Amino acid sequence: MLFIQLLASGIQTGALYALTAAGFALIFGATRIFHVAHGASFVLAGYAFVAASALGLHWAAAVLLATAVAVAFGMLVDLLVYRPIQRHEASFFTVFVASFGIVICVQALVQFQFGRGSVAVSTSLTRSAELLPGLYIAPVFWVAAGVSLALFTAVSLFLERTNAGLGLRALSENPELLRAYGLSSRRLSALAFGLGSALVVPGAILTAATTGIEPAASHRVMLISIAASVVGGIGSLRGAALAGLMLGVVENLVVLVLDTQWSEAASFVVLFVFIVFRPSGLFGKAVTS
Amino acid sequence: MIAYIVNLATLVAIFGIAAASMNLLIGYAGIFSLAHGAFFGIGAFAAAQLALNLTPDLLLAFLAAASLSIALSLCLALPALRVRGEYFIAASLGLQMFAVTVFHEAPSLTGGHGGLAGIPQATLLGIEVGTPWRFLAVAAVTLVLSLLLIQILMRGSFGRALMAMRDAESAAMAFGKNIPLLKTLAVAAGCGLVGIAGALYAFHISFVIGDSFTLEQSVLLQAMVIIGGAGTLAGPLVGTLLILLLPAALTFMPMIPPTEIGTVQQFLYGAAMTLLMIFRPGGIAGQSVGRR
Repeated sequence: MLFIQLLASGIQTGALYALTAAGFALIFGATRIFHVAHGASFVLAGYAFVAASALGLHWAAAVLLATAVAVAFGMLVDLLVYRPIQRHEASFFTVFVASFGIVICVQALVQFQFGRGSVAVSTSLTRSAELLPGLYIAPVFWVAAGVSLALFTAVSLFLERTNAGLGLRALSENPELLRAYGLSSRRLSALAFGLGSALVVPGAILTAATTGIEPAASHRVMLISIAASVVGGIGSLRGAALAGLMLGVVENLVVLVLDTQWSEAASFVVLFVFIVFRPSGLFGKAVTS
Repeated sequence: MIAYIVNLATLVAIFGIAAASMNLLIGYAGIFSLAHGAFFGIGAFAAAQLALNLTPDLLLAFLAAASLSIALSLCLALPALRVRGEYFIAASLGLQMFAVTVFHEAPSLTGGHGGLAGIPQATLLGIEVGTPWRFLAVAAVTLVLSLLLIQILMRGSFGRALMAMRDAESAAMAFGKNIPLLKTLAVAAGCGLVGIAGALYAFHISFVIGDSFTLEQSVLLQAMVIIGGAGTLAGPLVGTLLILLLPAALTFMPMIPPTEIGTVQQFLYGAAMTLLMIFRPGGIAGQSVGRR
């Protein structure tokens, strides 16, 4: 029963990882920007939700506010940081360092405003009920799984069925040709950043509602997103989501054999092994660097 | 006040060595490791264990720290040979996170969450060098020697081959350069040198704990190199001075409450990294990029 319990909590964590990682993979796939400040969007969305709830806003309004903050942040970073850099030098490391600088700034600002410790919103969603003897499931499990599945399906449909989605996929394949067809790569990259950043919101809010969110959470989110994208195959949305789910499950199941302190390290061992032995990931194309 | 300045100067020398070794990887070899903090820690723990169990001799500690770091640097060389760019950053990130877990959860090696305390004062060839002034001298001499070594290496054929590899790997390969060997050697040299810096750090602080060698430390070392100017000799030193003196200078600013200094410092160096990348990607000591 412990196994099923751990599997359940693994799926709950993994579903949220999957969405966050899919957002990262969406941005990377379309724009080829290694957006490590994705973790900062997560923290900002989480804190926006906490602050809005503290002000007594209705939860739906708080969710909207959090989404607005994440989307605006993602698009602003693209507009104010990545675009000027790409204008004069496209070295990926320059972009990476700039993005990392933003993560540090955001963490410092959030710390300054809300303190170092973690903050949480209390809801009735986290109250567990005994589903089977020895198996406790809180409603938040169904929320996490349902929201992730619904959003992921929606994004996949959007990418496959709409013109803008087609444009995003075209942007990742051949930006020059896209421009030749008269589509604006700028507008599409703004769309990728907006959409990708919006995908952190469920994870941020549910983290704030369950374990609580802290300023340093951005590092963890960034690491998980990178790990899931690499394991899933960089650029593949489906791969990132699946790998995110897998990482969440592995992280929880590892407790069966090792102490809990090692659970985070386990995901990084998975990441490391994948990079060394199968850098193209689960669904990626072969790496041509 | 004097003691404070001597302490600060010693830290500048130690981190100067660490930043110079980071520069060897980032600036000359084009290997963007995020695991440098971990190797700094490996050197520190090696020196600490040696000093606690056998002898506080500095040269032996350097030897132990450097050899352990070099041996473990193979873990970093492996992904460096296989992948590049984002993939390598991700791999080094994984290594860094795993190392921190080991630092915390292997008490017999690293003292676990309590760290290793009470490291005796260093001796050099039988002479006590643990007093602040003497240790500063030792650290400064080590810094000068490391910079000299890097300068000589980078002027020679090894350095030119490394830079060729950084700028155009396939071209360097076409000229008959052994790329896997070059990368392995570069990683070993960078990690060995930061191991030595770690050994100095262990003796200087006389207390090592896993918390000092986290991802933040790696990023800090990267920031020193990048803010100063990657691929230049003076760059890492300029960056080290700026980053270490900034919190000291902030202490004297009256309007900042002392508890918030860490946060303000963090914000400033994050902002410096981002703004420099936008306006001057070569760093302070680097060449400014011309407009195309």
